[in-house]
Amino acid sequence: MGPDSQPSRQLEMDALVGYLLLSGVLLSMGLIVVGLAWRFANTGRVSFDYSIKGMNLFQFVVNEIRLVMHGQLSPRVMVSGGIVVLMLTPYLRVLASMVYFIAALKNWKYSLFTAFVLAVLTFSLFLR
Amino acid sequence: MIPDYLLFPVSLLAGLVGAMSGMGGGIILIPVLTFLGLDIKHAIAISILSVIATSSGSASAYVRDHITNLKVGMFLEMFTIVGALAGAAITLASSPRPLYIAFGAVLLGSWVALFTAEHQSWHTGPQDSVTRWLELEGSYFDKSLKETVHYRARRAYLGAPMMFGAGMIAGLLGIGAGAVKVLIHDLVMGLPPKVSTTTSNLIIGVTALAGTSVYLTAGMINPGLAAPVILGVVAGAFLGTRLLVRMSNQAVRRLFLVVLILLAAEMIVRGIRGV
Repeated sequence: MGPDSQPSRQLEMDALVGYLLLSGVLLSMGLIVVGLAWRFANTGRVSFDYSIKGMNLFQFVVNEIRLVMHGQLSPRVMVSGGIVVLMLTPYLRVLASMVYFIAALKNWKYSLFTAFVLAVLTFSLFLR
Repeated sequence: MIPDYLLFPVSLLAGLVGAMSGMGGGIILIPVLTFLGLDIKHAIAISILSVIATSSGSASAYVRDHITNLKVGMFLEMFTIVGALAGAAITLASSPRPLYIAFGAVLLGSWVALFTAEHQSWHTGPQDSVTRWLELEGSYFDKSLKETVHYRARRAYLGAPMMFGAGMIAGLLGIGAGAVKVLIHDLVMGLPPKVSTTTSNLIIGVTALAGTSVYLTAGMINPGLAAPVILGVVAGAFLGTRLLVRMSNQAVRRLFLVVLILLAAEMIVRGIRGV
């Protein structure tokens, strides 16, 4: 089978999805570790109490970016960044799979299925 | 409130026991967090966020090893995410007492499942037309058998609505509900055990994300509390999977049977007495 055959394309997709998940989780854990260590160095405590009052992920991200733009890089922003990256990891996994089903595998059935999953997640994460 | 310094070690322990028993971190984490004084809805919200991390972390390795069946995962995710959204919405509307009792019931169910657990041999069976249309089949290289195993799933029309139920439990109680998903994959859809556990892992991540989105918009996620918990659960799960190789299955199973029954009793009693 040639390099463009369906099975080898399927293997490429496995690798893409696998590395996407791995790098997302590692980046997220890294940000949280740095945030907590920074917090501990400043105050001697590891946890801090702040809740996100009724925000969807989009508003949460915008809020965090605004803080960074104002030069307020704090342990809190690092920890929130870690949580944002964590939540975006499975989302991007679904997005990447959808693109792959459409462009590389040209599988309309699974393009539709992943589009449905992506639409539901987009609605519940960003629009509500 | 829970003392700061307890969050990390307690979550580490929950991740460790969860990984070693194969039940996931949430099933231990939530009872322990509520025992330490956290409100059950906040415990559920934090737990389901940490489930994204543990499931994505372990799923990444299995996907790269080509054991996970992405098509089975993508198809069933359509049902689990809708279930998780519904489940999380019910939790938000519910009072705490039924949640304690439901959690206790799930713990008891896990106890029964673990107590009666036995390994059945897997063999591939005839495929129905719906499942064939869905292209739910595949193959993987089994390292212990040193051969490629080919399989065809079946009864996707039964598995799909049942996965809606599994997603609902996940969103409702903030757990991965991996045991329920594996049971559906194994018994209903006839997937080989390795494919069913690894594919369940992939599905859990997206399902937990759907549940988390509901808790986030409701303002129930406290990042400051969640951060040490996520780190602890992930570190515990990482250690647990490595420690598992060195311990006998029987010892782990006996220990976990005792832990489960104690936690189940605690949750049900709290539910009945009103905390």
